[in-house]
Parts: sequence; structure tokens; C-alpha cells
Amino acid sequence: MIELTVNGTKYQVDVVPQMPLLWVLRDELGITSAKYGCGIAQCGACTVHVDGRAVRSCQAPVGAISGKPITTIEGLSNGDLHPVQKAWIEHQVPQCGYCQIGQIMQAVSFLELKPDPTDEDIDLVMSGNLCRCGTYARIRTAIHAAAAKMAER
Amino acid sequence: MRSLLIAAALSACAALALTALVEAKDDAADQSAKDVLPSGSVSSQAGLEAWTRIEAVVTHPRCANCHVDAAGIPMWTPAGETKTRAHGMNIHAGESRIGAETIACSTCHITSTDPNEPAPAPLRSGIDWQLAPVEFLWFDKTGAEICEQLKDAKRNGGRDTAGLLEHLRHDASLNGFIPRAWQPGAGRSTPPGSFEDHVKDVALWGAAGQPCPR
Repeated sequence: MIELTVNGTKYQVDVVPQMPLLWVLRDELGITSAKYGCGIAQCGACTVHVDGRAVRSCQAPVGAISGKPITTIEGLSNGDLHPVQKAWIEHQVPQCGYCQIGQIMQAVSFLELKPDPTDEDIDLVMSGNLCRCGTYARIRTAIHAAAAKMAER
Repeated sequence: MRSLLIAAALSACAALALTALVEAKDDAADQSAKDVLPSGSVSSQAGLEAWTRIEAVVTHPRCANCHVDAAGIPMWTPAGETKTRAHGMNIHAGESRIGAETIACSTCHITSTDPNEPAPAPLRSGIDWQLAPVEFLWFDKTGAEICEQLKDAKRNGGRDTAGLLEHLRHDASLNGFIPRAWQPGAGRSTPPGSFEDHVKDVALWGAAGQPCPR
């Protein structure tokens, strides 16, 4: 049995320690926000937070992260939406939406590290999250907007 | 508050990791003491031959691609290709050499002792993924330049031959980058020889007085 804490809730899962976290979240716990895109950490659709930092869950063996707090988009905030989620809605970022959970999780982790990013900062960090609809310009705009809102808090 | 909690958790993890590192270092020191050969017991010619084999290892993309300059851009030699290029995804590891300023290497390169997955999945290590210190620059350097660097205490972490051997054993005790260069996962090339061959060659080279090609 492997113990996990996801969004503040403790779970025990009977899986091999090599199983990727993404599989555990989706197939064992029924938490399906993180998406399977490439399976090799090259697209970012599966991004969640481990210990508060963005991690590609498709390449994270669950045994290697047991004991560390895991956050998916469902656990980003209590009740109200996170400022990054609000900015995503305000600027109508998604097209098909498949990559957007990963984009938001990466952006939230990024803004905790760099609360007032430049365009270059954003490009450096968000380049590992691919969007087949090409919403990059709106992602950048929404991150700036979220940063401004978070600075007001 | 969340930042404080993250900082506290990281501190606790760091304390545990430090204890493990100290224990691993003691074991590595014991083991590497057995690797050291008496100084002068190996001829200069045999030492140079050992260096030729060491050079083939340290200039192999599996090893040299993360020994890059202060720009902090790791290099990539994708499986099935021979041409080396900058790491995809606009990765800059920064002054921290772990991507702390932008996107952490550990976002994709998970700290894990599990075997590496077949290419092109990201490589793993028992040590947090990072670039080598900037003064340990190997990428785009000749073998002769790297040789001079490896015996220069100012550019090798202050290590003599015994120290270099202890470094190899310590890294191996943590399931780190060096031995895993020979276990990169299916589809990826490996440096010539084996990790144990490399340790023996460093011992031979050291016992010969660390000769370098001219």
C-alpha cells in the first residue's frame, strides 16, 4: 500500500511504486483533471503540484513522491476560484481546453516563484506546456492579469 | 502561509537528505580508499592510455551535455540522432543550475532510483537533477582541456585523485548521474566501457601522475 495526500485528503492505493502518479490520480482515485497528453513529460498536460511545485505526473513514479502533498486543480483553492483560473475565464484562454489544466497548474506554480513576470519570464517557464490550439498569446495575457490581481491581495 | 509551509517542508526534507548524504559519503570514502593505487605504480604511458578511455567517457554526450557554461542551457542529443542541440522547451537552468529561477529540472526529471524509461522519456536520478557546476565545463572542450581541468583543484571541486574516486563512489552510492550514464534506458547510447571500468581508469590515471595529452 502506498499512502498519498491529494488536495488535503489522505489515500491508500494498492499499486506498484513505479506506476506514474497520473495513472494513480485518474484510474485509482478518479481525479481526472490532469490529462494524458504525451506520456513522456514533453507536453505538460498532466501537470500537478508536488510539494507546491509543478511536476509532470505522467513521469513521476508514485513511489518516489509518496508522503509529499499533491495538489490538482480541484484543490487549488477552497470554494472560490484561484486568481489564475479567474484570469483564464476573463481572457477566454481555452479553445479545446485539453492542455489548459496543465497550463494553469504550471502558471500558478510559476507565479508563486515570480509574482511579477515579464513576457520573457513567462516564455521561459511556459514553453514546456504545449497548446495545439495555439492559445499562447492569451495564456501570456492571463498570467499578467493574474499577477496583477494577486499583487492586490 | 502556504509559502511558509512549503519552506518548512523543504527544510525538513533537506535535513533528512543531509543525514543520508553524510552516511553515503562515509561509505563512499571507505570504498574509494580501496580504489586508490599507489602513486608512481603506473607508468606515464599506461596513465595516458587510461586517460584516452576517460576522455571517451567525459566527452560522450551522455556526460558532457550537462557540463555546460554559465548560460545554463543543457544540451540534447536525441535518441537516434548524432547532432547535439540545445535542450527543447526553452530550458534555462539558471545560476542555480537546477532551474530554480525559471522551471525546475525536477519538473520532468524526477528524483528517483527507479530504472530509466526508454527514450525519449526524461532521464531520472537518485540525486535531484541539475547541471554540473559552471567551472566544470566539458561541453565543446577538447580532451586535453578537460584533462587539465580535472587535475586542477580550482576547477574540480578541490579534489586530488583520491577525491575524484570518492566523488565517483559517492555519486554511485546515491544512484546518481555518473553510474546511470551507463543505464540511460532503452534507445539511448552509453559511454564506452562501464562505470567500474571508469573508476579503474581514474585510479590508473591518478597513480601515473594524471598525465594529459599535449
